[in-house]
Amino acid sequence: MAEAADIVIVGAGATGLAFAWRLANLQPDLRILLVERGDFVNQRNAASKKNDWELALQKSFHANPNIRKSAADYPVDESQTPIKPAFFNAVGGSTIRWGAHFPRFRPSDFCSFSQDDIAADWPLNYDDLAPYMDINDEMMGVSGLAGDPANPVRAERGHPPLGFCTGSRKLAEAANKLGWHWWPADAAIASTDSVVGRGACNNCGPCGIGCPRHARASADIAYLRAAQQVGVNLITCKIVKQIITINGEIKAVEVINQNGTIMKINCGELVLAGNALSTNILLRSIDGWHNQLLGQGLMLHPTAIVTGYFKEDLQSYAGPFATSIVSQQFCETDQARGFLRGFQMQVLRGQGPLSTALGGYGERLPWGAQHNRDFDSAFGRSISLTITCEDLPEAENRIEVDKSRLDKFGMPTARMIYRLGENSLKMRDFGIARAREWLVAAGAQKIVVTPLSEQAGFHLMGTAQMGSCAKKSVTRNDGRVHGFENLTIIDASVFVTSSPVNPTSTLQSLALRAADLMSARLAAA
Amino acid sequence: MSKETIIAMLDCLIPGDTTGWPAAGQHGLSSRFLELLDSLFEQADKYLEIMLTELPDNFSALSTKQQTACLSSIESTQPDAFEAVLKACYAAYYTDPRIRQILEKKTGYEARPPQPEGYHLPPFDESLLEPVRARGPIWRKVP
Repeated sequence: MAEAADIVIVGAGATGLAFAWRLANLQPDLRILLVERGDFVNQRNAASKKNDWELALQKSFHANPNIRKSAADYPVDESQTPIKPAFFNAVGGSTIRWGAHFPRFRPSDFCSFSQDDIAADWPLNYDDLAPYMDINDEMMGVSGLAGDPANPVRAERGHPPLGFCTGSRKLAEAANKLGWHWWPADAAIASTDSVVGRGACNNCGPCGIGCPRHARASADIAYLRAAQQVGVNLITCKIVKQIITINGEIKAVEVINQNGTIMKINCGELVLAGNALSTNILLRSIDGWHNQLLGQGLMLHPTAIVTGYFKEDLQSYAGPFATSIVSQQFCETDQARGFLRGFQMQVLRGQGPLSTALGGYGERLPWGAQHNRDFDSAFGRSISLTITCEDLPEAENRIEVDKSRLDKFGMPTARMIYRLGENSLKMRDFGIARAREWLVAAGAQKIVVTPLSEQAGFHLMGTAQMGSCAKKSVTRNDGRVHGFENLTIIDASVFVTSSPVNPTSTLQSLALRAADLMSARLAAA
Repeated sequence: MSKETIIAMLDCLIPGDTTGWPAAGQHGLSSRFLELLDSLFEQADKYLEIMLTELPDNFSALSTKQQTACLSSIESTQPDAFEAVLKACYAAYYTDPRIRQILEKKTGYEARPPQPEGYHLPPFDESLLEPVRARGPIWRKVP
């Protein structure tokens, strides 16, 4: 087992694997080691091949680690947040559990302060990341359509858009009636058979329990083999417990093995690629280092869900659940709306019978005399819209680490402290009204609103924001922590603002760029 | 909790109807219900104990109206236990192969897992986008 590496990367998820692959290609002589707390997930045997597949969503593939409680999961104190944590611990990270919606942050997302006098600007811009987004698209395998008028011009996608069910088509036609923007969603899902080893999506629906065809990308499918082919090493079921420094320089990490023994891995560079929670825990393990901004500015993309129930069969059980239509009509700031920045609307479908009965994106069906009749009215006949709000980096929203409360591995527990700010609340309410309008235009007979989706803390952004000033940020624009030359963060804790769109495309492009910058730095040294 | 009480409780939660849906208890789902309650909830024993305490001994002999009143009361006073029981009941019902056969007959949604066959959807119809394209760019250019 490796006891020393030039580069140790904590976390083999969306960013860790992309970073490792890129750096190994640029610097083939480096010994690069990925340390992952979870294990491999064999998606070829996904639960979607079993009759009781929906049970997986209730337990073993539940998004919330506090409910899932698998061997690799650690508890999160969620008592002070209405939005609960949602992430997955495995090789591939949370991309094992995701819907693969793959929009890019837009140019204005990087300069909220200079454009809207709110939050802060990033120390980089869209053009800095666009080339890396293209590289990442190629690795992940993206379906979609060029020419979206809500985004800058970019290359053709590798695959055509995914198919529409009757419900998605109805919503597209309704948006046209309203004169609103919509576009087929960019998806990290292969819609054709053109990638070796990955079959085309066959519209099964529940991408979140793994894809046996490997049509839906996850970081392990997209990057692991390619990274290993250029010499990257991976060890699994190992938990990094402590960062060890000598004279202000990172020297090693302490790692807990499955049997509870501790091993030490010496490293030249340390890269944190978990999530904002694990990164906060690890940074607070560094003796003698403190940054008062660490932990502040947690952003979670508060999301409302508005569900329409229709008279006709929409086939809404078919098709990848998160990736048919997106509307960016209300993404950019319009001060007349009473709030700054904006929100994205996204169509959700893919509800099986059990999810329909339990409420899925809408309301839990009543028990008793009317249950079966209500089920008949709901199954395959409902479709939902999310209102994903751009969250502002407010200092009160934060992650704290409780060193007095240890988990089963002896690690401190992270606590999420979060409430919706005034801007987010106004935005959310405006968005709910627009979603209602859209569903009515599509012919919905009944509409149910979930004002805040609780189990939706998928996008853990901020708390170690990047910036050019060491007094106003935690990390530099390459992800390196201020005060250290060899400690880099590449997870979404470095995000300065949250954009209203899903972060993974932007997040992975930041990781690829960080690999290039590290390579150049090491070459110069 | 006796098997008879469980069957009556499941029947009250999902009573079935005249269109082909069976009642959950009479359909023989009590064992599966208990199995799922146990696998989905760490506190399954506690929840069952609460139901046992709250439901009258003669629950199965009560009228549907009386049974519904009992369960409604537990729903308000013991929401965690009730929601767990209801979730396990729905899970047992909607993952049962015979129920799925009924669903297939009623809706055409096939009684099989989503994979490996998946579902057919028509290819994306690009003509839908003509009005969106016609309106031109809406993203904000920044310096």
